[in-house]
Amino acid sequence: MGNTATAKIVALPMVGKQTDPEPAFVEAKASAAQVSADHAPVAVEMPLPEPEPIPTVSLSKVFVSLWGYVTRERLTAAALACISIGALFLFWYLGTKYKFEFYIRFKNVPTPYEVYQQLTQVGLSNKYLVNIAISVRRILLGFMIATAIGVPLGLAIGKYQRVRDFFMPVVEIMRPIPAIAWVPMSIMLWPNNEASIVFITFIGAFFPILLNTIHGVHSLDGVLVRAARCLGASEIRLFLNVILPGSLPHIFTGLAVGMGVAWVSLIAAEMISGQFGVGYFTWEAYSLVDYPAIVLGMITIGVLGLACSGIIRMVGVLLMPWLAFAPGGRR
Amino acid sequence: MTMTMTETEVSKGFIDVRDMGVTFGANDNKVVAVDNVSLNVQPGEFVSLIGPSGCGKSTLLSIVAGFVKPTHGVATLDGKAITKPGSERGVVFQQYSLFPWLSVRKNVEFGLKMAGVDQSKRNTTARALLDLAGLLSFENHYPDQLSGGMKQRIGIVRALATSPQVLLMDEPFGALDTQTRVVMQEILTNIWQQFRISVLFITHDIEESIFLSDRIYVMTARPGRIKAVIQVPLPRPRRAEMTDTPEFMNLVQELKGLIREESLAAMAPEIKDRGLSGFGMKVGPKGVGEIF
Repeated sequence: MGNTATAKIVALPMVGKQTDPEPAFVEAKASAAQVSADHAPVAVEMPLPEPEPIPTVSLSKVFVSLWGYVTRERLTAAALACISIGALFLFWYLGTKYKFEFYIRFKNVPTPYEVYQQLTQVGLSNKYLVNIAISVRRILLGFMIATAIGVPLGLAIGKYQRVRDFFMPVVEIMRPIPAIAWVPMSIMLWPNNEASIVFITFIGAFFPILLNTIHGVHSLDGVLVRAARCLGASEIRLFLNVILPGSLPHIFTGLAVGMGVAWVSLIAAEMISGQFGVGYFTWEAYSLVDYPAIVLGMITIGVLGLACSGIIRMVGVLLMPWLAFAPGGRR
Repeated sequence: MTMTMTETEVSKGFIDVRDMGVTFGANDNKVVAVDNVSLNVQPGEFVSLIGPSGCGKSTLLSIVAGFVKPTHGVATLDGKAITKPGSERGVVFQQYSLFPWLSVRKNVEFGLKMAGVDQSKRNTTARALLDLAGLLSFENHYPDQLSGGMKQRIGIVRALATSPQVLLMDEPFGALDTQTRVVMQEILTNIWQQFRISVLFITHDIEESIFLSDRIYVMTARPGRIKAVIQVPLPRPRRAEMTDTPEFMNLVQELKGLIREESLAAMAPEIKDRGLSGFGMKVGPKGVGEIF
């Protein structure tokens, strides 16, 4: 992962340079009264130039602004990331090579090479890929249901006192119950194994999403709601055009946290009650004393989790380009 | 400018506040914020409401905006009682109230979008207004990229976009530094000169109120009452140089006297508690009398 990041950085410094001066220029000129005159004399000479056709589609602009953040600082960060991951592998390699034994025991731990071999043998096997596919499907289902219920419910609880009074007592009782504790109940509740595992994943993702959404509504500046009402926003418009985008940063925090907890819950559920899935794969390897496969399972879980939260973060950046300029935001 | 009001519309926008009283809390910790206030804004008139902090002037504006319900009395716009916020009353807030997730132009378009105006018409109107505010070249920026003065100029034209009958402004320049504030006052008076709609302007800045207004209501310290109404006979359009004329200076002196009494009255309990009355501060008997 570290390698791809570095490659991007090396390839695109030129594009970054072009977009850089803009925000700095704005700040420097900000307090001047006749800024527009200095800033773009062309625009002022003809009072109302033809409306530009582009402004609605800003995806390409977002990408350009993303490359704009490629800086020396980012290069250093990428280098440090490579070093830290490298150090982890080195520790593992040395520990297994010299059968390190000082309270913790590396005696049975497979070497990185053994795990790599395992990957090349098992990695392309149908069984391994099917396990991954099944885990991903469970995560997606559980997570999407949690989002579909958690975000609207969170918005309603955050906005309306009555809804809050009704739902919050239940939420507060259910919230401390960890998803793993739901396993026996889930098996009783749902007609088949698949549904009960998806349910446990849903439980894991649901509460972080719900609570962060509520928090997002509460942290929305009240003056924005009043401003929208003065501008004639109806209740539905207020929800769609003010409360939802206003709480979006917190919602995405909830999605990222929820995705993490969903993976934790899924793996636990697969280990306890499962058939198939990466968690089941790992536990089965332990039962069969297949040590390299245990580590392969663990690394698979780590990579899948990283990919999922990475996707959420990327979607967040694409949906909320304004955060790049928010005080205390990026940088 | 396409946005300029036509003559027929100028006759609209009459704000009338009658016997207004606002009380917060209940029983023992009851606070009378506004007490028996009557005021009006004639169509096309620029009226300021000035008073010491905590005198309830912002509360009054919140009532006219429709955010707060009065304990007694009524506020009407063109004879219709005000019960909730509406786009015929544009509001400019003291805090920056632009939507950070919308570009500058989309912010100005917001009210029109809520009214169901189609995209191309919204676009044209917003660009004309941004041009008026001198910010057309920033139309695709986000609010967080702009300075406080720029944000407030956008806040003003955003409130004007839906062609409201009145504009309510709650210390809009209170958070700005002195230099920016002076420039903003000139920009506002220029914009107003084009629209000529009724404005109710809340401030605690004496020079600001004189420079902008046709008429100034002075409020007492809490509980807020109307202490005096002052006409500003300065000619229109207002120019920055007018602040140096003796006419302007006299008005400043007159208002300063009125406000000072009230500010001292508002602080009187603290001054007494700390034994500071010996520091040459004259606590007028009338001012203290207002409080006890």
